[in-house]
Order: sequence, then structure tokens, then C-alpha cells
Amino acid sequence: MAGELAFDIAPAIVALPFASFLVALALGNYMPKKGASAGIAATAGSLVLSLFALVTVAGGSTYQQDLFTWSAAEEVPLHFGIFIDPLSAMMLVIVSLIALLVHVFSLGYMNDEGETGLPRYYSELGLFTFSMLAFVMADNLLMAFMFFELVGLCSYLLIGFWFRQDGPPSAAKKAFLVTRFGDYFFLIGVVGIVATFGTARFVSTDGQTAFPVLAEEALVEGGHGVTTFLGFGPEAWFSILGLLVLGGVIGKSAQFPLHTWLPDAMEGPTPVSALIHAATMVAAGVYLVARMYGFYALLPTVLAIIALTGGFTALFAATMGVVKREIKQVLAYSTISQYGYMMLALGGGGYVAATFHLMTHAFFKALLFLGAGSVIIAMHHNEDMWDMGGLKNRMPVTYYTFLAGSLALAGIVPFAGFWSKDEVLYEVLVHGLGSAGTTGTMLLAAYAMGLVAVLFTGFYTFRMVFLTFHGEPRTETARDPEPVRWNVKVPLVVLGALATVAGVVNMVPVEKVLGIKGIDYLHQFLDPESELVTNLTAHHYGEVLHDVSGYTADATAFGSESVTVLVSAGLSLGLALAGVGLAYALYGRSPTPEEHTDKLGGLKTLWYNNYYQDEYQVWLASGLTLPLAKVADRFDQGIIDGVVNGVGRTSLTGGSYVKRIQTGIVTNYAALLALGLVALLLIVGVTGGWFA
Amino acid sequence: MADTTWLTLAPAFLLGLTGLLVLYVDSIGHSTKGPIAVLSLLGSLGVAGVAIALPDVLGLGPAGWSFVSVTLLAMFALALFVEPGSQNRRLIAGLSTAGAVGALGVAAAFLFTFDGEPVNPFGDALVVDGMSLFFAVIVASVTAMVTVASYNYIAEHSYQAEYYALVLLAATGMTLMASANSLVTVFVALELASLPSYALVAFLKENKGSVEAGLKYFLVGALSSAVFAYGVSLVYGATGSLQLTAVQNAVTGEFTGMLGMGVVMVVGGIAFKTASVPFHFWAPEAYEGAPAPISAFLSSASKAAGFVIAFRVFTEAFLQVSESAGEFLVLGADWVLVFQILAVVTMTLGNLAAVTQDKVKRMLAYSSVGHAGYVLMSLAALSGGGATATAKIEAGQFVLAGGMMHLFVYGFMNTGAFLFIALAEYWDVGRTFEDFTGLGRQAPVASVAMTVFMFSLAGLPPFGGFLSKYLLFGATVNSGFVWLAAVAIVNSAVSLYYYSKLVKALWFDERPDDKKPLEISSRPTGLYAAVIFAAVVTTAMYGVFGPVSDAAVEAAAALL
Repeated sequence: MAGELAFDIAPAIVALPFASFLVALALGNYMPKKGASAGIAATAGSLVLSLFALVTVAGGSTYQQDLFTWSAAEEVPLHFGIFIDPLSAMMLVIVSLIALLVHVFSLGYMNDEGETGLPRYYSELGLFTFSMLAFVMADNLLMAFMFFELVGLCSYLLIGFWFRQDGPPSAAKKAFLVTRFGDYFFLIGVVGIVATFGTARFVSTDGQTAFPVLAEEALVEGGHGVTTFLGFGPEAWFSILGLLVLGGVIGKSAQFPLHTWLPDAMEGPTPVSALIHAATMVAAGVYLVARMYGFYALLPTVLAIIALTGGFTALFAATMGVVKREIKQVLAYSTISQYGYMMLALGGGGYVAATFHLMTHAFFKALLFLGAGSVIIAMHHNEDMWDMGGLKNRMPVTYYTFLAGSLALAGIVPFAGFWSKDEVLYEVLVHGLGSAGTTGTMLLAAYAMGLVAVLFTGFYTFRMVFLTFHGEPRTETARDPEPVRWNVKVPLVVLGALATVAGVVNMVPVEKVLGIKGIDYLHQFLDPESELVTNLTAHHYGEVLHDVSGYTADATAFGSESVTVLVSAGLSLGLALAGVGLAYALYGRSPTPEEHTDKLGGLKTLWYNNYYQDEYQVWLASGLTLPLAKVADRFDQGIIDGVVNGVGRTSLTGGSYVKRIQTGIVTNYAALLALGLVALLLIVGVTGGWFA
Repeated sequence: MADTTWLTLAPAFLLGLTGLLVLYVDSIGHSTKGPIAVLSLLGSLGVAGVAIALPDVLGLGPAGWSFVSVTLLAMFALALFVEPGSQNRRLIAGLSTAGAVGALGVAAAFLFTFDGEPVNPFGDALVVDGMSLFFAVIVASVTAMVTVASYNYIAEHSYQAEYYALVLLAATGMTLMASANSLVTVFVALELASLPSYALVAFLKENKGSVEAGLKYFLVGALSSAVFAYGVSLVYGATGSLQLTAVQNAVTGEFTGMLGMGVVMVVGGIAFKTASVPFHFWAPEAYEGAPAPISAFLSSASKAAGFVIAFRVFTEAFLQVSESAGEFLVLGADWVLVFQILAVVTMTLGNLAAVTQDKVKRMLAYSSVGHAGYVLMSLAALSGGGATATAKIEAGQFVLAGGMMHLFVYGFMNTGAFLFIALAEYWDVGRTFEDFTGLGRQAPVASVAMTVFMFSLAGLPPFGGFLSKYLLFGATVNSGFVWLAAVAIVNSAVSLYYYSKLVKALWFDERPDDKKPLEISSRPTGLYAAVIFAAVVTTAMYGVFGPVSDAAVEAAAALL
């Protein structure tokens, strides 16, 4: 609906951080706080406007507007446009909120610590926020891709912020290259989608139908208006497209096997890690799948792959988190694992659950990273948990907020993470039980992995809490940590509150078990009744999943629905508590805990080396890609360059001959001119038959 | 009611009258001031009397006579206020620029309010339609940039009023070329454009190169004019008509050879104006010897004017669209073949010669020849494109519009490039690529502009040259001339070499030790303004390309 003020000023949500990028870049050195104030003001403005948009969306309006058509080709016009619906409005609020808190926190983490290069830091943060917000608002896949890439660029810049040290530049390059590998497929997917549907719009407008809708029509009513390639039928071809786009998602959201960049990305400043993990870079992948869920919901094969990838990644990453020594490394693997849950939910037919977990995770993971940042400040940038201990009494604000975040991460009732993780698992379980054939089996397999991962999550989370905050201080620094200021504490408190209570927006189990109707606010919110988005509602996705992909939810497998809910919740909560209990037994009971990792034997080495993922990827690069590249290079040097050089040489030689015609003597010119004319006359005369 | 169709020629009138006005201002001296004032006052009063008493004389009507009277009164006022004896540089340059900008404004306004109905002022021999307005816009904008830039360039020279007047009169000729609808008006307009150009090339009287170039230009021009006039006479002999549509109607099967020779010779005359091989010999010499703003003027505006004649003469007089047969009938001679040959030879020779040049201005001169080759494709590819007449017509419109758009963009990027050379000559930088090394650091703004021109000329995005080349080459392919487009693309690739060579010199190359260090003492406002304006338009073309190319397609649609 046009005319809503919140929507008319929505472009400012994106423009403000961009302005702060420019301001910090140009004037950062002359500003107090080196550009932070511009960033804080801009992100605060974005937050206010995003909230305004969220409230307006909650009132039942949605908005789509073409802003700029940059290629007006008749068949495939390409444009920038903004699209605000419940999903994007919610994401805008999350991104701008986390960005604001990260900016504030950076005052403590960067400014107070006397870092140099701050204008660069703040301008990059501004650009990062800008890119992500624009990505979220994009109304078509191509625009989303562009900003997806910009997000990747910004994370490269920020991870490598301390570019004079050894680690960060290499980590930045790795993040860039690994995600680029995924984006390569994404790009092909975008081109494929545009070629197939003639549009990349997420949402139908007056002139053009959105591509998920076209795909749905093609599959339900038989293919019209779409062009498939390589002889595939519509469904197979769409699945290929879906998988190609998924390549970008797997790279950005750090899913197996492209997750390897993420732990290394911890080399960046901790506030940046918070931003990357909670709200921007990594969230972009999952958000993209949710954004075009109408397309994925049509493709059961792809959904099953998403679910399996997600479930496997959740478990796989959680196991590696168990043995890490550094606090940020634990958090890194937990991020991979948690995004695995979101993918699991999307693949398992839980669109709302995934969105819900995306939201709660944003809060508690940002909280944990900022908490870790606070600890790192206190520990003078020592990140090894074995050097910490006993920080609980020395930094209570950090401790209690961190604890809230950990409880949420571990999935302990009633913290936010419990509700969302529970819904993820519940959705996958009921769809797995209800769907027939392979789909059901694969979903149940994915569910099983997700469930086991809960145990590991509870364990590594509380191993981290106990090692960091409990027991006796194990070093001098831990005995006398550096105090942190308000600019660190305020973001922690805000996020701590959110991590504790954010679950109330969607207490589905309570609704189902106690029969209180209408407290599944997020479900209602993601089911808007607006004409613009009839094909983009959770309800519609559910129908498509059922009708096209054969997803059926069976909530009564264990008797009644409430029993199923209770069984599912009980299982995940029980496993989480078991993990916490194990952690307590091993690391929490004694004031001077010992290392137990050696008891794992070979498993420890395997986990500690991250299943040798890096090694095999390095081998892929140096053993396989490099020789191939050399062959290509030889082809390029010899044949392509040969031709090019040949043309160059020929033109140079030809040029020197041509130059000689221009003698500078005007009679020669007249003669040549006349001869040329005669030659033309002869040619035309002969071909025209004048002399016949 | 008085006939007002002559008003549609306002751009040409504005340019011509401004030229005369400039001369008038210049003629006000100590001894002439009094008589001129008295005469113009008397004239004004006299004409006012005519306006009241005999308004219908000469068909001007009261409004027309009053206009003349007011003009004379204004001249009287000018005569009173102009300081005699001084050069009045500002006034003259300002007047010229105002005239050119006014003509540009009027032409642009006419173009965008044009209703699609061609107007014939003064009978059938002239026509004002979309294409003539489109080219009037090109000519007027190039003229405006050249007059602005010349303010600094000729600051130290005498005969400035004559310089501006010649520029404006040549521009009048070029604007008329765009409106010429009969072989005789074509010839007259062509001469009106050419004769001032010869003088302008030789304007630097003390400079041997300039004088020599002017003379060579004149001699080759005279020869070409003779060829053209002879061709026109042969066409007249065969058809008995000079008006283009009448020629088309009168073409019969008889006199094939005679008509054919005439057509080919007309091509020759036009090829001279567009600097197409083998009628191009004057171009490198004239462009190099002339004052750089004049090189800009000739290589952009004059070339465009040559092409507008080609477009009009060959589509109106020597082409018949046969709806029934579903094809174009090429009349007179196989001129499409001639243009195919010319296009290939011109672009190849121009680019090859440009590759080996070591003087920047001469490189640009040859690049200008090369670009003529690209635009020639829009005539060379006319006969192709689809099986039906409609498809052919559409393809033809497309390819003609491509040529027009390339000339439009070229009018800015090439003018800008030559004006940058003017700037370099103003600073006395030198002529060779080596002389330009390090200029990027000394004059970054101008060098950025030059970089834009070079990349745009090479056809790189995101500049206007990319779009117009893309349109032109694409339209050529669309017409079924893949091989021609392929030749153009190879040539374009070659051109990137010498264009980027200059960019490299400006920004990256070390200055050789034997070159004297650059000394840039001043930033001439006029030159800078013109160069930056051209760069901005070249870059901003992305935003306005759509509407302008729509105008070009409409203009082309009127021809086919």
C-alpha cells in the first residue's frame, strides 16, 4: 500500500548507514570518536525507521516499489527496488539493532583500547550495515546478489582489519575465497533464474509475476511462460536452479562443506564477529532461502538436501566446538551449528521456525560475542579459556548476561533459544513422521542429527561458561581483569534481556499444550493478509509444501498433538540439560578443573583438527585446482594470448605501412583519392553490369 | 496569416545571425562608431515605418518587420555601448557562446516537442524533421563547447571576431546540411560549412603547420567538391530532378551507368566530409595542423553533418521500400556495397594508422577516421534484416539510429578529447605520448576527463561510447551483417590499445629524463569548463541514453 509514511521513508533505512560510511571515511579523523558517532547516529536512525516500518507492517501493510531500472531491456528489465513485508521488516529491525549495539560496543572495544585506523573501521561497519540492509530490502534476486557480494566484500575488509598482522589478512582472504566459491554457483543460479522466468522478482507487481509464483504455476498447471534448458523438465531444472542458489547460501551461512572460513574469521575484531555471526554475513544465506521460500517449497529434493545439510552441519560443528580452547572458537563453531538448525528448519518445512530461530539466535549470539569481547578486553586480548576462570565475581554484568545467552544457546527453558530450537526440531519431527517415502526418512535422519547436536550444544556452551567464569582464576590477568565501561555493558544488558524474553513472541508449545489461542504472534505476523504478498505467507508456503512437495505434518504420532509437543520439547530439553550436567560434572564442580579432552583419544585429534576439513580443501586447491589452472593458463598464454598478440603485431606492422600512404604531399593525396574513386566506380560498374 | 514555417530553421538562423553580429561588433571602431550608430538608428526607424505602412512587403508581415526593426535598434544600442578599439574578447566570445547555446536550446526544445510531421520551410528544398533537429542539437552542442574553449585558446591571437564568426557560419552550414532536402541545397550547405573550415584550419597564421594544413584541406576539399558537383550533375542528367523525393520518383531503368556514376560520385563528395577512406587524406593533416578546438569542431560536428547528408540523400533519393516484394530497392547504383567497402576500409585503415602514431593529436585524428568507419556501417547494413519489408524497415531504423547515437555521443567524447589536446597545447606540453607523461599528477581533473574520453571512445562501460557502440554493433548484427560487426569489434579492440596507451602515459608512465619537467601555470576556465562538461555528458549518457535514442529511432523512422 503506497502512501504509508513508514514506507515512503524506508529508503532512508539503507541510506543512513551509507551516509555514515561516507562521513566516517571522509571526516572520521576529524570527528570525536573517530567516526563512531556518525555510525551510531545512522544505525540508531535506521533502527527507529525499521521499527516504524515493522509496526506499519504489523498493521497489515506491505510495500513494494521499483526505485531504479538500470537496464530497461524489453524482455528482461533489471532494476533496484525495495520490498517490505513481515520477513524483511523483522530482519531490518534485527540488523539495525545489532549494528547499533555493535557500534556502541566498539567504543569500548576499539576506541578505549586505543586502536588505530578507526575511521576505516567505522566506515567499513557503515558499509557493512548498508549492504546487509539493502540486501534484506531487495525485491529481486539480482539485487540481492549484488548486495550479497557487497556483504562479502565488507566482511573481507573487516576480518582483515588488522592487516599488518599475519593471521587476519589470510583469514580475510579465506573467507572471501570460500564464500566466493559458493557465490559462483549462486551467480549461475541467478542467471539461470532470469533466463528461465524472465524475471528475478521475489514479489509480483502489476507488470510482472514473481518467479516463485511462475515456478508454482509451471509445476502445478504445466509449464507455460518458463524456458527450461539442457532438456530438463521443469521440476528437475528448477531443482538445479535451487541448488545453484543454495551454493551461495552454503558459502555465506557457513554450512558443510563451505564452513571452513568461519572459524578463521575470528581473526577480525570481536564486535565485527558479533555483527557477522548474528545479523549480517552469515544470516544473509539463511535469509535468502527464507526470502525465496516460495520457490524452495516447490522442490522436495532440494528441501531434503537443505534439511540434511543443516542437520549434519548442526551436529558436525557442535562436535568440533567441544574441544576448542579459545572462547571465540567455541562461539564460531556454535554459530555454524546454529545456522545448521535454521537450514534444518527450512528444509523440514518450518519456515516460521527458521525465521524464529534466526531472530533469537541473532540476539543471543550477538550477546555471546559481545560478552566474549568484554572478557577479551578484561583479559588483555588473551582468548584462551584455560587462562581464565573465576571471572564471575569480577565482572558480574558480563557474567549474568553471558549466562543468559548461554542458556538460550543451550536451549534451556524459558530462554529465547529454547522456544525457537524446540520449534525447529518439532517441525522437522512432525514433517518427518507425516511425510511418506524417502522425504520422511531423510527428514527423520536430519532430525536425529539435530537432536544429538542439542546434547553437544549444551555441553560445549557450559564448558565455556564454567571455564571462563567459574572456579579459581588460573592466571594473574584473570585475578585482576581490566574493568569495562558502560559502552560495553549497555549492549550486553539490552541483548541479555532480549535473549531471555524474546521467546514470548512465539510460544507455540504453550499454545498447543495449554490451549491458549493466539500467542503464536510470529506465526500470525508472518501470515499477513495483504494482497501484495498472498504468495509470500507462511500459510501459503505450508500449502505449497503439502500440495507440491508432499510434506505432511503428522502431529498425532504419539497420541495427541500436545503429547507430541511435550515429547519433542522434553527430548531436546532433556538432552540439553544432560549436556549442561556433563559439563558441570567435568568442568564446573571442581574449582580447578582439569582438561578432559585427552580422554577422547583419537576423536580429540580429529575434532581438534576440524575433521581435517582445511587440509582436504587445501589439497583440493593445490593438488587439483592448481594443475588445472596451469593447464588453463598454458591455453590462455599460448592460444588466446597468441591470437591477441598476433592481432596486435599485425596491426602494428599494418599501421606502419598505412602510415606510409600519408606522404604529406598533396598531389599524392589527390591522385590516391581519384584512384580510389575510380576503383569504386569500377567495382560498382562491374557488379552493376554497366559494361555488359 | 503569415507563413511561420521558416521559424523551424531557428537554430540555423540563430547561429548565422550570431556570426554576423560578432562581425558587426568587431567592426565598431573609433572612426566607424558614429556612422554605424546613425545608420542603424535610421535603418531601425525606416523599417519601423515599413512595418506600419507596408507590412506585407516580402511576405514578412508586421511581426517580421517589427523584429527586424527591433534588431536594428539593438544594433544601434550595441554601437553606443561597445568600447571601440578594444578587442571586446569577452563580449565576442560571450555572444558566440550565447548564440550556440541558444541554438542548442531551441533545437533541443523543437526536437522534444516535435510532432513527427516534417516541415518544409521555403519549399521542398529544405526540410525540418526529427533527424535534422537531432543533428542540429549535435552541431550546436559541439559549437558551444568549442566557443567556450576557444576563449582561452585564442586569447593571444588577433582576428578573434573573424574566428568566432567563421565557426558560427560553418555551424550554420552544418545545421543547414541537416535540413537539406535537395541535391543543390546539399551542395550549398556543404560549401557553406566547408569554406569557413578551410580558413579556420589555417587560422594560426604564424604557424607553418596550420597554414599548410589549411591549404591541403582546401585543395582536397576543392577536388572533392568538384567530384560531388559532377555527381550531382550526372544524377540531374539522368533523372531531371534535384529534390530528393523527386529524384527517387524519376529513377528509371534508363541511363544506368550515368546515374550510377553520379551516385558513386555523390558518395565520394560525402565521404570527403565524413573523412572516410580514400577521401580522408586531408583529415590527419588538417586535424593535426589546425588549432585544437577547430580539430574538435571539424572531427565532431562537421563529420556528423556529413553523415546526416548521407543518411538523408541515400534513404530519400536512392532507396525505395517495396512493401510488396518485402525488400529494399537500392536505386542508381549498388551504393550499399560501396558503403560496405568504405566502412571496412575506413575503420581498418583509421585504426591501424592510429596504432603507430606517436603524436597524440594525430592519433586522435586517425581515431576519428576509424569512428567514421563505424558509423558508415549504418548505411552499409541497410539492406539486410529479416524477410519481410516490416522487419527490414525496423532493422534499418535501428541501425540508422545506432549511427546517429554514435555520432551524438561522439560529439561529446571526441570534442572533449580534442579540447583536452587544446588544453595541452595551451600549456605547451608537447605533442607526443611521452610529453604527456605525468600529466595526471599535475592536472588530475582534466586527466580524469581525458581518461573518460579515451575509455568512452574505446567503447568501455560505463561511458556513453559503450552504449552507442553497443547499439550500433548490435543493430548491425540484427540486420544480418555479423561479419561487418565482427570487423568493427576487432577494430574496436585494436583501438583500445592506443587509447589506453594515452591513459597509461597520463597516469602510470615515468616521465623520461630527457623531457623537461611539466610546468602548469594556470587553469584556463573556458577550456576546463568545456572539457569537464563533455566528460560529464559522456558519463551521464547512461541516464539519458534512453530518451535520446528514442528520438534517434523516431528520426530514423521518418526516413524509412
